[in-house]
Amino acid sequence: MPTSQPWVFVTIFAGAVSVAVAVWLYGWVHRQDAGTKKAQEVASWIREGATSYLRRLYLALTLVAVALGIIIAIVFSFDIEHLGTEAISVDPLRGGGMALAFVVGAVCSAVAGYMGMSVAVAANVRSAAAANEGINQSFRVAFYAGSVMGLAMVGLAAIGMGTVYLLTGDPEIVLGFSFGASTLALLAKAGGGIYTKTADIAADLVGKVELGIPEDDPRNPAVIADLVGDNVGDVAGMGADIFDSYVASTVAVMLLGASLFQNDAVLQAKYTVFPLVLCALGIVASLIGIRFVRVGKNGKPGQALNRGTIITCAILAVLTTAVVLLGDYKLGVLWATLAGLATGIVVGFTSDYFTSSENRPVIETARVSGSGAAINIITGFSYGLISTVPSIIGIALATLISYYLAEWSGLSGIYGVGISAVGMLSVSGMIVSSDAYGPIVDNARGIAEMAGMSQKVIDTADVLDAAGNTAKAITKGFAISAAALTVLTLFAAYAEVVGTRGVELSISLRDPMVIVGVLLGAVTPPLFSALTMLSVTDNAFKMIGEIRRQFREYPGILAGTEKPDYAACVDLAAQGALMSLVLPGFLAIFLPILVGFVLGPEALGGFLGGSIFTGIIFALLMSNAGGLWDNAKKFIESGEHGGTGSDAHKASVVGDTVGDPFKDTAGPSLNTLITVMSLVSSLFAPIIAAFHLF
Amino acid sequence: MTIHLYLSMMPEALIASMLTPEEFGVYYAVGARKKARGQAIFFEIAPDFRSDFLHIEEGMRRCVPHDDGSPKRSIYISVYRVLEHIPLDVIQRLYLVTHDGRVLGVEAHEEIPKDSEGLHLYQEIAPVHPFVVSTLGPREFYELIVKNPVTLLSLPAICFVELRLGELAEDPKYGAVRDLPYSSIEHLRQCLVDLSTKTVHTKMVDRIHPASFPYRMMKNGLFVGNAEWLLYFPLPSQEELRAKYYRWWRSANM
Repeated sequence: MPTSQPWVFVTIFAGAVSVAVAVWLYGWVHRQDAGTKKAQEVASWIREGATSYLRRLYLALTLVAVALGIIIAIVFSFDIEHLGTEAISVDPLRGGGMALAFVVGAVCSAVAGYMGMSVAVAANVRSAAAANEGINQSFRVAFYAGSVMGLAMVGLAAIGMGTVYLLTGDPEIVLGFSFGASTLALLAKAGGGIYTKTADIAADLVGKVELGIPEDDPRNPAVIADLVGDNVGDVAGMGADIFDSYVASTVAVMLLGASLFQNDAVLQAKYTVFPLVLCALGIVASLIGIRFVRVGKNGKPGQALNRGTIITCAILAVLTTAVVLLGDYKLGVLWATLAGLATGIVVGFTSDYFTSSENRPVIETARVSGSGAAINIITGFSYGLISTVPSIIGIALATLISYYLAEWSGLSGIYGVGISAVGMLSVSGMIVSSDAYGPIVDNARGIAEMAGMSQKVIDTADVLDAAGNTAKAITKGFAISAAALTVLTLFAAYAEVVGTRGVELSISLRDPMVIVGVLLGAVTPPLFSALTMLSVTDNAFKMIGEIRRQFREYPGILAGTEKPDYAACVDLAAQGALMSLVLPGFLAIFLPILVGFVLGPEALGGFLGGSIFTGIIFALLMSNAGGLWDNAKKFIESGEHGGTGSDAHKASVVGDTVGDPFKDTAGPSLNTLITVMSLVSSLFAPIIAAFHLF
Repeated sequence: MTIHLYLSMMPEALIASMLTPEEFGVYYAVGARKKARGQAIFFEIAPDFRSDFLHIEEGMRRCVPHDDGSPKRSIYISVYRVLEHIPLDVIQRLYLVTHDGRVLGVEAHEEIPKDSEGLHLYQEIAPVHPFVVSTLGPREFYELIVKNPVTLLSLPAICFVELRLGELAEDPKYGAVRDLPYSSIEHLRQCLVDLSTKTVHTKMVDRIHPASFPYRMMKNGLFVGNAEWLLYFPLPSQEELRAKYYRWWRSANM
């Protein structure tokens, strides 16, 4: 890869710059005023809870990573192409390299998540303190802290992928890096989602519904667990989720690129490395775009975040056009990149349309809530189903456009589809920055409330919080659509890997094995969703018992004369979330392997297809319906249809509670589930192609 | 320890307690292990008040600290026909307590608010607690019930609040509901329409309505009156509540 090697260095350099800026911003945030003693005390409870959970999570993940690393090292030490023949040889270096790449991928994802979360738990109190000076100052602290997560994530991913590829020159080894990142992401996302909703639901049901205590009231024993949950679920979890899609899409396209131009090594290397080029350009665009995210004295933070996203996309489009034209790349990659970017924006804003209180779906759901919880749920669920349509059409159009324009320009169509996913995700630096901003200002609001800060601080935090919710909805749309295109590419990569082992993958619905595979695959995302949501209800039930116990045994808590035992709820949430991960994690990693080894590569192909399609639909439905129910409740609370305390409000609270695990636990975890299953399949494809029961 | 006398409106009762009004409010709303919790409204009355109908002296005598030295929280002196036996000049201050025990003290005001145009909605709190709509302003409503009844129904004393009707006050048929949290809003609307088309001045919306109501719906304040006069306790403005009594305001808006 002589002509493309400079681009790998450029990618690593861009990643290093991104991490350096993240470190600088990390220091900048820590240098800001940390507010009053009381605020700092509340923030320290959140910080301790979040750190303790992550420490436990990463300890558990270390054990998983070591176990899987050993399996990978052993399995990939064998010369798989000759598996089953007498000519089999053993290459421990290759197996060790793959295992090392896996571990490095997991570590990079963990470091990005940890950095993001540790700055978030420092920024929350500083953002609240800065609100005394005005909305602009408070916004800056929160957004720059979010940027630490965004920039660290893309930076570490670029450094990791670039370095592994530079050292090995083998995209399949980079696949190991991606698998490591995805495994961690799945557990971090699902665990964080279970944690955050366990605390949220338990705190609300006992605090708000049973006792009439307002949100974030310091008397509620679960209030700190709830605030910790925002960090472990929405910062560390969502960051790991996008890290996973970012790496997986890049690696999948590198794999496809390596299968192009078999007779021309220079061109082959050029298109293998092109996804890394897009990552580097995306980092540059994000670094510039972040500078444009500002609010004036009375400016609107939501507009500032959207402006940053659109400017970043525009800069990336310009940079990609310049590189494609000057670097003599085929134009198909440019169209695919642009199609991906456009789809990301369309899907993101579709999510915003279906979840914003200014649009018909939320307004209508709020209106019918006066007739009870059932009609609220039916209406919200129906709009959630409808919301999948524009997103799916967007993904379908991006697939068609990128496929045929790539073919037209002389590239493989599916390579174009993959490039569109990478194009969409290359602006992840900016997207994650906006997303991580949300939980930080949410925490700032909670700290202001608990520490009894001034009315001005609370009002400012309210305005910032509302913008964070919109950013969150857009990010989810981005993450899901990117995951959809990524897994389509991984699916092609799986077929490609199987093909290189002499098995021509023929996925026909007339083949009973394929049908069985499709059915099993289709049922996996719903099953995974059910398991994670049941974990939430199970853990919430235990926490409700604990909260009730504290109120019962210590009446002074409610009277405000005794301090609740916050740590007990934090501990319950952490323990419950970690224990709940075992079955869903096992399902994601071992089910595809089981299907492949037992039913064969065609059935596994069908399995992936089935899981991709139901996974995408479920992810979009759950994320959008959950956001819609949440905002329908907020719309009523703003003084419509009877306002707080009305029958409509009571119905909307039920809808919102149903939607909580939809939008923050199961829905967003499905992206990672289908990515992990596709990666596992691609990784083990050579072995499955060589050895399967049927 | 000082012994206080509290006249509870929800439920109607006279209570002796060693707790200060703020402590008593918290205890009354959330502090009891075995009793029901919830919204509370009570007045502090002059501790030297005595009545032939109420065994206040005996209640005061029984109100002694516990063995461990902690203050006696409540001695119920009477739970029946209390309001009618309390002269209004012994009432010192009103306390509004939220479901979760946030306490707001309110002073009486000399001027009764002028009757505004349009229809009115009243939540009677004691001694009975129906939900009533009326064409009459608060003073006229009180006079109709206590001083100059035109029907067989009258009360010796009354405690009530006027609740906001929003656009329905002026336009019961087509006015927007917006943030009115009342159950069976269409029935309420119909009652208001009936008022505007019939000759009666008041109409019962719900005769078994609980006495509790959302504080955020109070239009102006709380009224308490007997055959002699009417006392008015104005609620501070929303802005003042938010700025000065944030915790109470937030709980009251739940």
